[in-house]
Amino acid sequence: MYILKNAWISIVRNKGRNILIGIIILIIASCATITLAIKNTANDLIDSYVSAYDKEVTIGFDRSSMMKDLDMGDPNGREEVKERFNSIVNLSLDDIEKYADSDYINDYYYTYSIGLNGQSIEKAEAETNNNFGRKDKINSQTDFTLTGYSNIDAMSEFIEGTYVMEEIADNAWDIAFDGDYVFINSELASYNNLKLNDKITLVSEDSKTYEFQVIGIFKENEDSGEPNMSMFSNSVNTIVTNTESLVKITSSNTNVKGDIHPTFIINDYNDVDKLQTEFYEKGLDESYILETNEEIANAGVSSVKNVNSFATTFLVITLIIGGVVLFVINMINIRERKYEIGVLRTIGVSKFKLTMQFVSELLIVALVSLLIGMGIGTVSAKGVSNSLLANEISNSQNKSDEINKNFGRGDHGDLGKGRGFAVVQAYDSIDAVVDMKVLLELLGVGLSLVLVSSIASITSIQRFSPLTILKERS
Amino acid sequence: MKDILLSVKNVSYRYSDAEEDEYALRDVSFEFESGKLYAIKGRSGSGKTTLLSLISGLERCTDGEIIFDNKNLKDINLDKYRSNDIGIVFQSYNLLPFMSASENIILSMDINGNKTKNKKEQAIKLMEKVGLKSSYANRRVLRLSGGEQQRVAIARSLSYNPKMIIADEPTGNLDKKTETEILEIFKNLAHEENKCVIIVTHSENVCKMVDKVYDLDKKK
Repeated sequence: MYILKNAWISIVRNKGRNILIGIIILIIASCATITLAIKNTANDLIDSYVSAYDKEVTIGFDRSSMMKDLDMGDPNGREEVKERFNSIVNLSLDDIEKYADSDYINDYYYTYSIGLNGQSIEKAEAETNNNFGRKDKINSQTDFTLTGYSNIDAMSEFIEGTYVMEEIADNAWDIAFDGDYVFINSELASYNNLKLNDKITLVSEDSKTYEFQVIGIFKENEDSGEPNMSMFSNSVNTIVTNTESLVKITSSNTNVKGDIHPTFIINDYNDVDKLQTEFYEKGLDESYILETNEEIANAGVSSVKNVNSFATTFLVITLIIGGVVLFVINMINIRERKYEIGVLRTIGVSKFKLTMQFVSELLIVALVSLLIGMGIGTVSAKGVSNSLLANEISNSQNKSDEINKNFGRGDHGDLGKGRGFAVVQAYDSIDAVVDMKVLLELLGVGLSLVLVSSIASITSIQRFSPLTILKERS
Repeated sequence: MKDILLSVKNVSYRYSDAEEDEYALRDVSFEFESGKLYAIKGRSGSGKTTLLSLISGLERCTDGEIIFDNKNLKDINLDKYRSNDIGIVFQSYNLLPFMSASENIILSMDINGNKTKNKKEQAIKLMEKVGLKSSYANRRVLRLSGGEQQRVAIARSLSYNPKMIIADEPTGNLDKKTETEILEIFKNLAHEENKCVIIVTHSENVCKMVDKVYDLDKKK
């Protein structure tokens, strides 16, 4: 008890120095409260935003590994590359189902593509001038590429805004994944005078015909596509449908080959390496690798991350400078109080108790300053954090509106929920910026500062010989 | 039968950075009884202060042993030994200057673990016992004369009623009259309160007033 009494006597006795220490800790505490509150709020926003994105894994070619050790300048090298690519076995639906049966995977969907020629409609094609003044024809093996999606989450072109729905049948989203319905490019529609609910007939290479009904007309977003010198957009001959229709075609007609692109939803991006190993064990060709959407998911919160990073840097700098200043003040304090230490040690105060007294002095000043600093920080942090929050809500709302517009819906429906574009409501109720977590962190920061800056006194007390001190004094 | 309180047995002390044969104190053996006033005399460099620091537990001897009240100092907590069993009085008083006379004494009681509530009254009684007026209780020690400060230091050393008092040149900074008064206090403590009082000194005047003198010069 006398340790605290002595500590208090020393605080009162050294008012000037303790007020200076108090002011320094007050500034540190205010800055720390603001930065910790911003950091926590920013982390909440980031977590909330990123968690709204599904953690997606797709399968792609490991091109760099395939091209390794090959000389593309050499005709033999080029042939070897072709051979390597041709030797890779295409993924089948069975493969996808086999891979998806994993503890790391929550869900999966896929797109399925086949090629068919037009019977009732004509492929939109144009001649372009190339750089050498020759006329080239846009060419592919079949007239149309039919891309089937397993569900709405798989429709990444619409979600990302590459395709934007221009016209859509009333019940389109109710039937889009159940039958032979298609969405076609608006240019293709114009080229063939097609309207909503018209029927189109496509034909396979072996002359089997397939009929589809048009339930939507989309256009390619000029801002999001590849640069295109043609009069038509890249997707003009792309017909969007569902996987069921296409699987039905490839099952009944072995001459029509399908190309499948799966997307797996995982729990944690850190599991990707383990998942890839599991896929290889299940038979995936090692020319394939797994790729994630982590970068894309994080891109939307880059500004919040910047704020977070700034807050962290600011906090660290404040703590370092504050810690050094406090350490120096404590060093001076110890030098001034060397005699007191000598006397107290001589009359029987143990090193431990003496250390506790010096730490207690700083702790009392620090706690008072922390409380005041916390109050100042709380008042300031709310404004800063709420401003940050409002900005983020506005950005998220705009994104949500934009995506719904891509799907041809004006309201904020549930379309694509889980893809991260209908979550703005989750943010508008965050109000308590300085919460228990911040308080505990601040307490941790305060205690760490006290301990770090007390190192001077602790080491000096351990090192000082009372007799030497008193001799010097004499 | 002798009532030996402190035995210094073949004690030597060598500083850690000293040469092998360089001792601050070498093979010293003394015995101290309760109820007697002792003087340890010697010239500068004879090892007086070293011996004082060893018997007051501020240093540990390199060879030999010091037995206090049948306990070897090597085996006991020296902080407790200093705060409970012995009182130390220095030539330069070593009081805390930012405290009053009574606060210095009360601090010593606190360190000893004295739980009584009327510590200030006890402090004043101790001050009166060493010839200080009670009105000095709240006075900062720096506003007291040398003799008065030394009396406060003695009162502090008595605050937990130790069995032994060790004083290092306690009258070195005082005039003749005050020196005699202070020595009288020590004499009373030894003869009337059965304490063992050891005074480290080079003063012949002090040596004349004590019961027994140990001469470190003869040991060298």
